[in-house]
Amino acid sequence: MSSPFSINGGACVAMTGKDCVAIACDLRLGLQALTISNNFPKIFSYSPSVYLGLTGLATDVSTVADLFRYKVNMYRLREERQIAPRTFANLVSSSLYERRFGPYFVSPVVAGIDDGGKPFICGFDSIGCIDFAKDFIVSGTASDQLLGLGPEDLFETISQALLNAVDRDALSGWGAHVYIIEKDKVTKRLLKGRQD
Amino acid sequence: MDTLVAQYSRPSGEQEGYSQDEQQELLQLTPPLSLKFALPPIAQPSSWLRAMTDDYSNPNCPIKIAHGTTTLAFRFQGGIIVATDSRATAGNWIASQTVKKVIEINNCLLGTMAGGAADCQYWLAYLGMQCRLHELRHKRRISVAAASKILANLVYSYKGMGNNVRRRNPQEGPALYYIDSDGTRLSGNLFCVGSGQTFAYGVLDAQYSYDLSEEDALDLGRRSILAATHRDAYSGGYINLYHVKESGWVKHGFSDTNPIFWKTKLEKGEFSNVTSELE
Amino acid sequence: MILKNFQAHGPSPAQADRRALRQLPSASTSYQTTTQLHHRIYSLVHPIYTHQTAEVLLGITGKDFTIIAASKAAMRGATILKATDDKTRELNQHNLMAFSGEAGDTSISQNTSKPTSASTQCATRPPSPAAVSSFVRSELSRALRSRRPYTVNLLLGGYDTITDTPALYWIDYLAALAKVPYAAHGYAQYYCLSILDKHHHPDIGFERGMELLRMCTDELKRRLPVDFKGVTVKVVTKEGIREVEYVDDKPVKSA
Repeated sequence: MSSPFSINGGACVAMTGKDCVAIACDLRLGLQALTISNNFPKIFSYSPSVYLGLTGLATDVSTVADLFRYKVNMYRLREERQIAPRTFANLVSSSLYERRFGPYFVSPVVAGIDDGGKPFICGFDSIGCIDFAKDFIVSGTASDQLLGLGPEDLFETISQALLNAVDRDALSGWGAHVYIIEKDKVTKRLLKGRQD
Repeated sequence: MDTLVAQYSRPSGEQEGYSQDEQQELLQLTPPLSLKFALPPIAQPSSWLRAMTDDYSNPNCPIKIAHGTTTLAFRFQGGIIVATDSRATAGNWIASQTVKKVIEINNCLLGTMAGGAADCQYWLAYLGMQCRLHELRHKRRISVAAASKILANLVYSYKGMGNNVRRRNPQEGPALYYIDSDGTRLSGNLFCVGSGQTFAYGVLDAQYSYDLSEEDALDLGRRSILAATHRDAYSGGYINLYHVKESGWVKHGFSDTNPIFWKTKLEKGEFSNVTSELE
Repeated sequence: MILKNFQAHGPSPAQADRRALRQLPSASTSYQTTTQLHHRIYSLVHPIYTHQTAEVLLGITGKDFTIIAASKAAMRGATILKATDDKTRELNQHNLMAFSGEAGDTSISQNTSKPTSASTQCATRPPSPAAVSSFVRSELSRALRSRRPYTVNLLLGGYDTITDTPALYWIDYLAALAKVPYAAHGYAQYYCLSILDKHHHPDIGFERGMELLRMCTDELKRRLPVDFKGVTVKVVTKEGIREVEYVDDKPVKSA
């Protein structure tokens, strides 16, 4: 019942479209069956076009999000430029592996648009193995229909995917945040999901 | 000789409440509801069963029985309100959002179930049969006290087998009983059962009074289940609402919690912890 | 630097066992399989997580105040050692911490009150509730992966004098932090959150806040099987922190 990964609950998904990516998370913070908060977003921004989604143990979600905020700020000061999604993914990977024998109990997802305007998404396990993906992260079946979707269609697809998933999971849900990231525009939306 | 052996080889549950002959008669009449359960062919069936099915102590148990629930019933001047949620979970998986947890035993007796879904359905069906037989034998409707006692005795005879039955039978008089698989049988004015019981108690206790009007009582029952579905991960789905009157029970809908929740939040300003706008 | 109070009577065997389990695997420990490693790590959190206490902590925010209530019973095993315990501590003029949990570990309040008090800050202002909550969370999360984690649950009630808003933070012993309009710890969560879901509004006045608190404590008196000896009530407002007299001698009616 209580693996650290399922104590607080949560869900996150990222998808690519045509010249855009989307990342979405639910808003629940639970304590096993009990819902503590309905406003616990799990997506964090590290540059205008780099987003990190973190699910797992809530304490580590906060710790890891803060850790990367520190690291990315240091990177930005040193390099005098924004971090690229691929660079950030490697930073996440190596930082997580530093805790190989006492990991943070999180499953990160990175979504962003790289300098060339190409979508980039990837996922990780809790000790930093990168899972590069062309279409989407966190979700089971392959779906060709995702490829080539424009921003509005992508929003619809990722919202439906996330809502349908959390409606079948007791420990996630209670609303969701969706980010649609295009080359020079980011749209954030709140989904009013089921509250039961 | 065979009949002699048969007398001594039946499960103990059969002896409860009814004589051998009566039981025999019952079994012949209604083969699908016999009490001859196949037991696992091992020395300690009950502890084995627990090891296989108790996902609380062992999350990796091979058999996951659906459970997790909120049900409530309370007595007031106009009868009894019975309300339940409709979610069935197996582990964290929401197996169904449309379970009917109120069992209509007859036109004035209701049971609600929390715990093992199969156990509850089976035993309440069995109780329905017993109640009908009682009516036919004695030419009058069974009292709630008697019906609840039949059930309590039955369930008690299988104590320790992990039956997971928790239930209430309101009606006539009107009376309300809480029964569980330990053999507890309590009469009372107000009971909430299941994983979300505490949340329902919170809302219900704060505004409960015996003199509630019918409309207020229905609202309070509905609102208590809504509270539990919101806070308890293992409760949710639809709100199933019944009102038991002297003349029999009346159903007041099987309604989705989602529109009810947002209506409650946006119109009454409740649930201020939930965000409805991006800040 | 954290110096913790050690319990005079030493930890019980169960506590010692849990403590041993909670220690992170050191570099010198070798693990044959990943599964073995995972079991070791999972046990960090598992054995204590389901642990819910009969200690009551409640927090309610309103238009211009935060009410914090904490039960007065200090329990050890089957005994109530003290019936007038105060489980709260003023961190600075506008921040109040309430704590419950394992004996001795509540010393976190002492260890965090110094750094968060106005005198030790270089800045001219004492830290805001947001800053205090962040600091406390980081202390707690660092301790979580040390040899001796704190096993305390916290509520931080505060008043932000810059934005003129009340604030309430819920923190559990794993250092999960959430900003909430109302909160509880222990079994009280299971009874009171649904009451507050129904009756709380963000712009309630102080009188209404106390009424809500009364509804909560009445419900706890009605349904909790243990006597928590009533609650101490403190309120944080623009003016600072003050204790509120809370008369709690009327028996509650059961349904």
